[in-house]
Amino acid sequence: MSVLTSGEFWAFVGVVAGIYTILTLGLQIEFGYAGLLNFGHVAFMAIGSYTMAILVVKSGWSMWLAAPAAVVASAAAGVVLGLATLRLRADYFAIVTIALSEIVRYVATNEDRLTGGSQGTINLAGAEEASDYNSQWQRFQDWFQGALHLGSKDVAMLLLVWAVALVLTALVALSIRTPWGRVLRAIREDEDAARSLGKNVFAYKLQALALGSALAGVAGLFYAWQFAFFSPADFAPLLTFFAWMILILGGVGRAWAVPVGALVFGVIFAGTRFFEFAPFTWFDSAERAYLRLMVIGLVLIGLILFRPQGLLGKREELVLE
Amino acid sequence: MSALLEVRDVVRSFGGVRAVDGASLDVEAASITSLIGPNGAGKSTLFNIVSGFLRAEAGTVSLEGRRIDRLPPHRIARAGLVRTFQTARALARMTVLDNVVLAAPRQPGERLVRNVVGGRATRRREQEVRVRAHELLELVRLDGHAHALAATLSGGQRKLLDFARVLMTEPRLVLLDEPMAGVNPVLRGELLEHVVSLREEHGVTVLLVEHDLEVVMGVSDRVVVMSNGAVIASGPPDGVRSDARVVDAYLGVEE
Repeated sequence: MSVLTSGEFWAFVGVVAGIYTILTLGLQIEFGYAGLLNFGHVAFMAIGSYTMAILVVKSGWSMWLAAPAAVVASAAAGVVLGLATLRLRADYFAIVTIALSEIVRYVATNEDRLTGGSQGTINLAGAEEASDYNSQWQRFQDWFQGALHLGSKDVAMLLLVWAVALVLTALVALSIRTPWGRVLRAIREDEDAARSLGKNVFAYKLQALALGSALAGVAGLFYAWQFAFFSPADFAPLLTFFAWMILILGGVGRAWAVPVGALVFGVIFAGTRFFEFAPFTWFDSAERAYLRLMVIGLVLIGLILFRPQGLLGKREELVLE
Repeated sequence: MSALLEVRDVVRSFGGVRAVDGASLDVEAASITSLIGPNGAGKSTLFNIVSGFLRAEAGTVSLEGRRIDRLPPHRIARAGLVRTFQTARALARMTVLDNVVLAAPRQPGERLVRNVVGGRATRRREQEVRVRAHELLELVRLDGHAHALAATLSGGQRKLLDFARVLMTEPRLVLLDEPMAGVNPVLRGELLEHVVSLREEHGVTVLLVEHDLEVVMGVSDRVVVMSNGAVIASGPPDGVRSDARVVDAYLGVEE
């Protein structure tokens, strides 16, 4: 149980929650604001991580150039998906997004020469030489830690992730209050009504998808920096559904609900690692790993039963037609 | 002089059924024209074609001499032809005021980048629009509900909200899809007054779809009658009412 009181461990939980916040903000724009059911969100995170790593290792780019390029690549991928599929009805669009995320993962797994294949980024430069896309980031993180006299590298990362996450949350919160955000909300409420009032629904959905994907790309960057290594298995559909849980947990349609939901989810998710007391000790560790997921599921079911609007949502908005 | 709206030989079928089968009609500027006909005559289909929500298989639709039959709905709305729906489409989880403000044209802030650069033009337009929206809400006597969610409005109030919203778009031609359907007699009278005021006070041309001839008799300048996908008669209301073909079409279907 000693890990539970270690600052290092909670800093790690905080960093992951920050990354989830950025990832889920993308879903908030797409679903919470524009009503788009994207079940393949993780694909755009993968595109962000991989684009950055590949540009640094294979093309020799500076990480500071590769990172914005990766975000642009994620947004562009969102546009491509939108152009191909946004004319589909909502449920069919959702199915296509699941397929897309699996396609991206399978391509990353099998296109060894581009992505390093199933072994991940360690294999990015080829089997002979170990590769590393992260050295520039590590230097920056060290400098940041020194400049602020921070106790550890984890705390430096924690501050960096959350600074970006909170600025992005504020921007997303502001955007919905603009006339632009008003059109998005109108589309979520009734596409045909928005059309009849002269709004180009397709263009707005495309913009929502581009922005949401760009945010997933930013999350992908921090994921890559934090773990210094990643492989296609890290971008399984489960991650998309974690983001959905955070969105629903926090509250659909409210930007500030995202960091709250991510922190609560992060604590539940990390906390369940430490079921080292009865009745959990009746099971061995492999069984406990599954129990953990079951407990998380039960907690979420409970929350949705008793607070279906999410932690920060308004209940009356849920029942209105 | 050509009419404001010209519909020529429009055809549209669903499966094997020709819902609209070579329909043509004119709507003169500053008129109130009613499109009537029994259920299944093809009125709603034609209406959807004119407003761009459906594509015609053949035929043309022109607004002020400009072809609009290949344009998407939002471009047609921006060209000044604005429609309503049979059931009022209130944007439920937005405030009544936002419902109206949304409809305003020429808001630069609807472009995302204009909120980052050039916010002043957005704010100025937003102020103008809000003032106008309050005026329109007063007109339909919903001003007291401005900050309530539209979902809290009754069915009749939603029809009134639709009216205010349509006016906010600064339309030239308004297409009203059975505005009196499912409305109590008191509100029906109020809605009819609003229809008339569209032309009298706002200079807007109106095309009204209705299946009940009596409802629109008093307010229409011209009545166009559809049956089985085609226009079978048109003219001033009194002439149309005594037209034998119209009587046949109605007697066959309605009680």
